[in-house]
Order: sequence, then C-alpha cells, then structure tokens
Amino acid sequence: MTAILSGLLVGVLFGFALQRGRFCMNSAFRDIILAREFTLFKALSVAILVEMIGFSIMAMTGVINLAPKPLMWGANIVGGLVFGMGMVLAGGCASGITYRAGEGMVGAMVAISGFGLAGLMSASGVLKPIADFLQKNTKVMTADNKALTLANVFGLDLKITMLVLAILIIVIWAVLALRNKSAEQSFGEKPKSLGEAIFKKGWNWLPTGIVIGLIGMLAFLLSAAAGRNYPLGITGGWTNIWQSLIKWQTVVESQVKISALNWEGAEIIGIVLGALAAALIAGEFAIRAPEPKVILQTFLGGLLMGFGAVLSTGCNIGHILSGVPQLSIGSIVGGISIIAGCWIMAYFLFIRPMNA
Amino acid sequence: MTDQITPTKTIDERGKICPYPDVDTMTTLKKMKKGEILEVLVDYPLSVERIPRSAQKSGHKVLKVQQLDGPNHSILIEALGLK
Repeated sequence: MTAILSGLLVGVLFGFALQRGRFCMNSAFRDIILAREFTLFKALSVAILVEMIGFSIMAMTGVINLAPKPLMWGANIVGGLVFGMGMVLAGGCASGITYRAGEGMVGAMVAISGFGLAGLMSASGVLKPIADFLQKNTKVMTADNKALTLANVFGLDLKITMLVLAILIIVIWAVLALRNKSAEQSFGEKPKSLGEAIFKKGWNWLPTGIVIGLIGMLAFLLSAAAGRNYPLGITGGWTNIWQSLIKWQTVVESQVKISALNWEGAEIIGIVLGALAAALIAGEFAIRAPEPKVILQTFLGGLLMGFGAVLSTGCNIGHILSGVPQLSIGSIVGGISIIAGCWIMAYFLFIRPMNA
Repeated sequence: MTDQITPTKTIDERGKICPYPDVDTMTTLKKMKKGEILEVLVDYPLSVERIPRSAQKSGHKVLKVQQLDGPNHSILIEALGLK
C-alpha cells in the first residue's frame, strides 16, 4: 500500500511538471532537425545533469544503489529505432502521450492503448520470443557480470565519474552560454505573480529541467524504499496497469502480493492525474480529437512504441531520463537509437513533404 | 482593445497532434505574400508557445497571441513574404 501511495505521489508531481514544462522528448529531438529548436532539449539536458549529481550523492551516502541497465546492443538498437519511429507517428514520447491524456487529448489516449497493448504482447505475449531472442543473444556484461557503464569500461568508479562528468559539462555549458548570450523572447502577457507563473503559464526550460531532475531523484529514493530501485519509468508502468486490468486473477495467483498494481503502475496513474490537475488549473484542459486518419496513425505509433520499448528494455524515460544519468551503455545505445528513429520518421513525415 | 487586425487567412489547427500545428503554420507562412496576415487557431499548449518563437526566428512578425477560451488561442502573424 505504501508503495502504491509513494508511486502515486511521484507520478502526480511528475505529471504536473510534464504538463507545465510541455516536456516531451519527441518534440525535444524532432525540433532539433525540424525547426533548429533546442528549448526542450536543453530542459532534458538540465534534468539529466541534476540527476547525475543527485543520484551520485544519494549513492555515495548509501540511500540508493545505482542500477544501470545492462547492454543488449541488438535489442537496444532495434527496439530504440522502432520506438523512435513510433513516437513521431504517435505525436509524443512515452511520457508525452501519458501526460497529454491528462490534458484531454484523444489522440494521446489512443496512442496509449496501442502502447500498452503492444508492450504487454512483447513482455508476456506473442511477441515475447522476438524480444527474448534479441536480448539474450546480444547481451554484453563486464567480466564480473555487471552492467557496462561509461565508468567501468575505463575501470573508474561509477558514482565519482557521474559527479565529475556532470560538473564538467555544467562548467563547459556555462562558459559557452556566457560567451554567446542570446536574449530569449517571450510572447503574450508576462505573469503577474509567482502563483500565476507556476500554475497558469508554461515553464521555461531551466526550471522545467531542474524540477524534473529533482522528481527523478525523489523517484529513485521512494521506489528504492518500495523495493523497485530504479528512477522514473513509463513502459513498465503501462504494462503493469494493463496486466492488472486484464490478467488480475493470474497475477494475484502467481505473486504473493496483496495488490497486482506496482509502484510504476501507480506512478503512471499519478502522471495522468497530475497532468489533468495542471491542465485544469491553467485552463488548458479540453477533450479534443484529431481527424480519424490521424487517430489511426497515433494507434500504430503506440503499437510500435510498445514493442520497441519492451524490446529495448526501456523507453525515453527508462533509458534517457533514468538510464543515461547512470551512464549505462545500454541506455546510451538505446537513447541514441530512439533519437535516430525519431529523426528518420520525422524526415519522411514532415521534412520531406515540407520541402517538396 | 481597439487594434482590430483582419487576417488574410485563418488556419484551424485545433485538435491536431504535435507538431502538425507548427508544420502547417510554417508551410502556410512560406506561401504567403509580404504583409499578409495569418491567423492560427490552436489549442495545443506547446504549439501556442513554440509557433511564435519559430515564426519570429524565420523572420515573420508576431502581432498578437491571444487566449480565446480554455486551451484555445489565436496567434496573428504577419508574413515576411519569402515568395
């Protein structure tokens, strides 16, 4: 029960921040090539840096144990590419479609259905053999059977490497930013109070990144306390929810747990509720749907995302937001593949038609 | 508000998924003549903030961003006239 409540709490905070920061990795990556826009990519980078420092200090003080995902290069690459292409069709990354469902966007709800369905099919259904095959046959571990990280391939300590690397990147970034100061323009009315800035207006990239990084830290702390020991995740949460709903009886019988809903599943419910609250307060909630053809497109996108994420052992959150700060090579390979898949699909769907 | 601006063209991007509102706006602006005004109706929060940024960056002039009701916004942009 405490696991459910703590997952729910983290989810509500995360959903609120996602909605306010308009934090979507599909947009973050796609906008780089589509519009030369780096706003969301900067928010993501800040979040990862905050987590690198936070996770490192939390691991040094012994409150958490770092848990980088193992490298399964074939699964990471193929799954990442499929996931990345899927999220462009779905109009949002795994966290993006989750929080947008809370904003009332029907396209996102449909994408989630596809995502959960294909995720479950790949985690315990008809597609599982494909995922198993690629994961088992391309798994590479260290000599003492640990997950490969950017630290241990060079024989370095993970916690210290994370901390040093993060500080190094921040210093370089600060120097570069001070050199070419470009004033950021804002449009529309300026917020009149702090309350309005937080609850009514979209957040800038810097506060968005910091807040999401801090929530990532809280997620690691609370999920470790609940026995899960990993930061934020999305894919596992949706498959858990679907599993609980559809196979409740089998899950209850096979596990010695009071509830079939786990920490990550509760986190997902929290994200939708948090985003719903944020959208309602800001007056941004409305049930709205795109045309039927696009609805079908988002469903197909969701299916690809579900298969890709389970095959790759992580979505944009599990790999990029939670795995990259822990310097997991599997997550870095998975993350780069997600970006590559996103760019390939964005090229065919948007860039080529736009220049035609 | 007495500064009533009459748009030359209006596109309704409400309900569309990311990034169709942005892509449609930019391709429409590209086809418009200098001084013509495009009105974009949009309800997707990220696009409400991103469209003015990218329009400005491409040299178009953002005249007004106005909230209508709920998530619905009207964005008025004066085209640079690239064609």
